[in-house]
Amino acid sequence: MSTTDTARAVEQQAAANSFLVDVWIMLKRWLQKAVRNSAVVFEALLSPFIFLILFTQVFGNLAGGPIQELFGADVTYVTFLTPAIVIVTAMTVAIQSGTGMIDDMESGMFDKILVSPTHRGAMFLGKSLADVIRIIIQAAMILVLGYILLWIESGGSVGTYIQTGLGGVLGIFAIVIVYSLWFTAFSNIIALVTQDATSATIWMYMVHYPLLFSSSAFVPISLLPKWMQIVATVNPVTYGVDALRALMLGQDVLTVIDVTAFAGIWNTIVPAVVVLGVFDLVFGGIAVVLLHRVASSRVS
Amino acid sequence: MPTAPIETQKASSTAITARNVELTYADGTRAVRGIDLDIPTGEFFGFLGPNGAGKTTAIKTFVTLLQPTAGSVTVNGFDVGDDPRAVRSSIGYMAQETSVDEDLTARENIRFACEIYGVPQSERAERIDDLLDLVDLADVADKQPKTFSGGMKKRLDVATALVHEPRLVFLDEPTTGLDPRARNRLWEYFREINQQGTTVFLTTQYLEEADELCDRLSVIQNGQLIATDSPNALKSQVGGDILDITLEDPTAEQRAHAQRVARESGLFEDNTIEPTDEGIAIASEHARRAGTDLLVALREAGFTVTGFDIRSPTLDDVFLAITGETASEETADENQPGDTIQTEVSR
Repeated sequence: MSTTDTARAVEQQAAANSFLVDVWIMLKRWLQKAVRNSAVVFEALLSPFIFLILFTQVFGNLAGGPIQELFGADVTYVTFLTPAIVIVTAMTVAIQSGTGMIDDMESGMFDKILVSPTHRGAMFLGKSLADVIRIIIQAAMILVLGYILLWIESGGSVGTYIQTGLGGVLGIFAIVIVYSLWFTAFSNIIALVTQDATSATIWMYMVHYPLLFSSSAFVPISLLPKWMQIVATVNPVTYGVDALRALMLGQDVLTVIDVTAFAGIWNTIVPAVVVLGVFDLVFGGIAVVLLHRVASSRVS
Repeated sequence: MPTAPIETQKASSTAITARNVELTYADGTRAVRGIDLDIPTGEFFGFLGPNGAGKTTAIKTFVTLLQPTAGSVTVNGFDVGDDPRAVRSSIGYMAQETSVDEDLTARENIRFACEIYGVPQSERAERIDDLLDLVDLADVADKQPKTFSGGMKKRLDVATALVHEPRLVFLDEPTTGLDPRARNRLWEYFREINQQGTTVFLTTQYLEEADELCDRLSVIQNGQLIATDSPNALKSQVGGDILDITLEDPTAEQRAHAQRVARESGLFEDNTIEPTDEGIAIASEHARRAGTDLLVALREAGFTVTGFDIRSPTLDDVFLAITGETASEETADENQPGDTIQTEVSR
């Protein structure tokens, strides 16, 4: 059935909701579930928290020197790492997005919504928006934690935490959303293909960790072995982390491709957003096609 | 294969019209093989059949979860292919597997259903309370279903299927896996909503359930309807009441002998006397009057009768009479008994 048919049917049924109302209903349910399931929220924060604390404590002294050489004397490993941990958090929430959909399929709620007059598009848009809201809130919590760590480390004299100011904070959230879209889509693709929560989670983490370590997330690219530098060039994590780091440090930190057409940090942000946008389109497109196939009632 | 001719209803509206519906899965399984159906508004209708007969597949095509491979389905006047949203707005559906959100409370589950079906805000609070009362969950309304029994979850599921006061409700094996008490309670709700004017479409593998609830039912086997009628009319095909005789020593030889005695007594028609596990069973219009005479004949032939029961036929007997198999058996035979049975049924 085509979407135009659906649109026509909408007009004939006064009782059914408008598209936006449907989006709101779906969004509200997913947020309610997230709040109810405090364990899920906690899990999504736990591993990033541990990463941030352990990595800064263990590797802070080791990596601190090269980082100060590369980015300036006032840049510590905490400031360097915090943007990466924001990306880790976003990815953890995205992984849970896919398993949330599998849960809905297993509990019968997916079919229950499908037999109701709810718009198909609203089902997925509402869920994605709920994921975005969670990602923003958890990213903000990581930024605050980073600040606290820095405050402890520097004995109370942090200086300027985010060099680009309030605009930069908003920019960080915008980049996080652009980054999250492709990985949330990827998580849902894996969920739809496996249709099993356990194997989906295993698959997601098998992708998650190699991506993180073969990027600019934990150490500067120049410290990685040559082959990993090549991987990092095509790794979306590099672009997400570097864009956030550019906003935090106020510097053009992107080294995997050399762009000089813009001014300062824009030489990082513009190419990063373009690359991530391409990832969003490709993975988002695949996810939409798969979701459409599952939600439309065809058997073959 | 078309089913028995369907009575043309005087009723002004039809809840479900199905014409030659077929559904073949991607792997080639022909789950539904040509179903014709007319269900008038207000009827309590049932699909009775064993596991794998095609009940769930058929119901999923009626509720727009599956698109028929061939044929057409109209639900409440809307075509399932052309106007699925209109169909969805006008029906309630309870899937075979209990479908509730365990993160939300019972009340929130019903509220969510109200929202997705567009129940006006001003009516919601009252509707939710009414439904909680109907399914006896008012005192656990603010608890999460995690702690509920299977029967309670089913009842919550029923409530969420009724929020928009649908004209037609589909119940796919609603009582499978429930204890008798929980089952009886659900039956009461189903009767109640039917009495309030809602058309109910139920699938079941329990013959007793179909007999208890349905105005009419179709016996479904291998994706085809092999008989459609009222429970009583179907039962009358068995040919009277059932006389169950239990013998003290039911060897094959003894049972054959007892069969011969019964036949030679001239009390019943020959072809209605069958051996059973415990003895013999006789289906006859004269079962009640001639029962004691048979006991005497058996005693004179030297049998010790340890059990004796005269009962009305159940749908188990009906299934046996129509298909030549018991309902619980998996129907894997290839030579489609439906065709020969069809003529008997529609005679």
